[in-house]
Amino acid sequence: MLQWIARGLGKGRITTRYPRHAEAPPAGFRGRIDVLDSDAAPAELTGLCPTAAIAIDRQRRLTVDRGRCILCGACVQAAPDRFAFVAQYETATRTRSALIVPEDRETPLEPLRETLAEQARALRRSIHVRHIDCGSDGSEEWEIQALWNPYYDIQRLGFFLTNAPRHADILLATGPVTSAMRGPLERTWDVMPRPKALVAVGSDACSGGLSDAGDLAAGSVDAVLPVDVYVPGSPPSPIAIMHGLLLATGLLQAVAA
Amino acid sequence: MTSATKEQSELWAGLAEDLGAVQEPAPSEERRLRVPAADFDRAARVLKEAGARFVTVFAASTPEPAIIGAFALRGELVVVRAPTDDTDLAAVLTIGDWWPAARWAAQELAERHGPRPANRSKKRLLTAPDADLLDRHVSGLDVFTIPYGPVRSGIFEAIQFQIETGGEDVPRVQTRPFFKHRGREQRFVRLRPDKAVYVAERVAGIASVAYASAFSQAVERALGAPPPPRAERWRAVYGELERMACHLDVIAKEAETAALYVGQARFQILKERVMRWRSRLTGSRFGRGMIVPGGVRFEGAMGLDELLGEIDAFEVDLRRDRRLFVGTASMTDRLVGSGRLPRALVEDYGAVGPLARGSGLSTDARHERPYGDYKRLGLQVITASEGDAMARVNVRFRELGESLRLLRQSIDQLRRSNGELQKRLPTDGSGSAFGWVEAPQGELVIWVELRDGLLERVHIASPSLRNWALFDHAFPRDVLTDFAFIEHSFGLTPAGADR
Repeated sequence: MLQWIARGLGKGRITTRYPRHAEAPPAGFRGRIDVLDSDAAPAELTGLCPTAAIAIDRQRRLTVDRGRCILCGACVQAAPDRFAFVAQYETATRTRSALIVPEDRETPLEPLRETLAEQARALRRSIHVRHIDCGSDGSEEWEIQALWNPYYDIQRLGFFLTNAPRHADILLATGPVTSAMRGPLERTWDVMPRPKALVAVGSDACSGGLSDAGDLAAGSVDAVLPVDVYVPGSPPSPIAIMHGLLLATGLLQAVAA
Repeated sequence: MTSATKEQSELWAGLAEDLGAVQEPAPSEERRLRVPAADFDRAARVLKEAGARFVTVFAASTPEPAIIGAFALRGELVVVRAPTDDTDLAAVLTIGDWWPAARWAAQELAERHGPRPANRSKKRLLTAPDADLLDRHVSGLDVFTIPYGPVRSGIFEAIQFQIETGGEDVPRVQTRPFFKHRGREQRFVRLRPDKAVYVAERVAGIASVAYASAFSQAVERALGAPPPPRAERWRAVYGELERMACHLDVIAKEAETAALYVGQARFQILKERVMRWRSRLTGSRFGRGMIVPGGVRFEGAMGLDELLGEIDAFEVDLRRDRRLFVGTASMTDRLVGSGRLPRALVEDYGAVGPLARGSGLSTDARHERPYGDYKRLGLQVITASEGDAMARVNVRFRELGESLRLLRQSIDQLRRSNGELQKRLPTDGSGSAFGWVEAPQGELVIWVELRDGLLERVHIASPSLRNWALFDHAFPRDVLTDFAFIEHSFGLTPAGADR
């Protein structure tokens, strides 16, 4: 056992300093899709996307729904003058509409990382997080688990994992909500005390992703319950989920104040 | 002709004659037989006698509706096709009654394609589970049923275990999958293969590379267009990285369950290092978006010399952590003797992967039917004979070493050569074939049917579903607190099982 302790102490600090300091992904990381040129888009661009995330309106204005996007890169490969990958971890938003880019002007701005860091510092009581899998592909669970590993160590920010929904402040939901998981999701949410926040983790949870609404699945978490924070991505990286948790905490603090 | 192939040819001739079966043309390493539906059961019995391992049974749609059974036998995949309409489905499905390995596959087929039972609401369905429906099979004064799941404690995927226990002994466990059924097989239909590979990557996310590779290989085999060798090398590199990430995840979870928190942290660190290599190589922490039918999309973006250097440093750390892990009695005490699966039982259930290898079965798709780069790489199949959780963990530890060795070989080859990465596939091709890989969880087999360049039918025989049937038998002398250790030692993913 002493050897383990020595082994644990032997290494220097590897934990990220996010959110107090920015965390840069490696070059070429597929964090999100940006639209480079949204004007006068040809209609056939919509056919590039396997999840119908690309839309073109009557004015031939091009938008990408990051909530539907599974980051496959088919559009970037076919039309590099229109679409590009951006190496960024922070992708969470507090509204579904903010995931559709380029944004409308009315979309409220998301708080800056510095603001989130302030919030995290001011966190007097710890936040308890509960997770529920509503039909994910399993990768989101790995990335949520990673938040408690030494690289991300979200406990330093006051986030704790709880098994009891009655003790939870934040519910992380993954997957397109299969018909078998709809009831368990509603019941888990029902017994959580107020104030509480629901975070949809992954494009499957934000929009259904590859699963359309139908007999098999509700097609997104917000088709079942009101979602407070959306974390798109297939799957979102641990920092993206951390960003989403911090946004949700801000909402909880606003309610408590 | 070697004696093995001669014997095999005699077996085919015998089977064909015996059953009036017709041999059909097939891609390499597949052997296709057509039998009348009434003879399907008999054909399966003959194959079992000959030592075949059950792989899957499902409904195919081209060129005519048929039930297809797939069996692994001496380096080949035996494909028994029985043209049928729904009325003779029941005759085909009797295979599930006498072959434990076929029970769940046959039940799924019956529930999806068979005539609907009149009293459906009362009948317990495998494929449409109800979290609140509790079973009691064991009677006794203190015996109660714990419905563990589908909302699990901790961050785990949705699945339910109904555990009947008096508090200590576990007389009965019933595994109930399919809470996560999303109809992924249906999602492939009418897609072009180059788009459908994104669906394949998202069947079981932690094995994205395995699913994308097996699907791509099936398409390539159906169209008779093998990928360039360099693409096969890259697939092997990503496949081994994925195996390492999954194995390290299992070991970290075992350490967590034993409250060996430094050990947990150490193995999580090792896993995160693999995730970050993948992120730098492919832009995705799960290696997604790289493998496509016809090859791979890009060269890995990380310098190969740098990667080799990191692999060396990784191996030093892994060795130390492994030595500490196996030397910590409070850890190994929980694994040794837990969840013992005798070899005969594992064989009966047609189990695959580290689970089967931990019970002494030398089954590995990379060795049984070598594909891609594994035809050139010499693979050592790692087995242990004890059949307990410790054996399964030990198999994983030794496979980590084997993966590192294979990685070094493949990367060295990549470094010293050049070549194309992707071949253009015919866009209007038709055909059908199986593709397979050894996923981290075990042998993954995917069937595709293409018609005029579009997918007509895809069937996935996932290692997770096939292995999970064994979980009900994994508590011969174990107590309730062993549950999590045994579950993690299986190392399966519900997303892959439920599809």
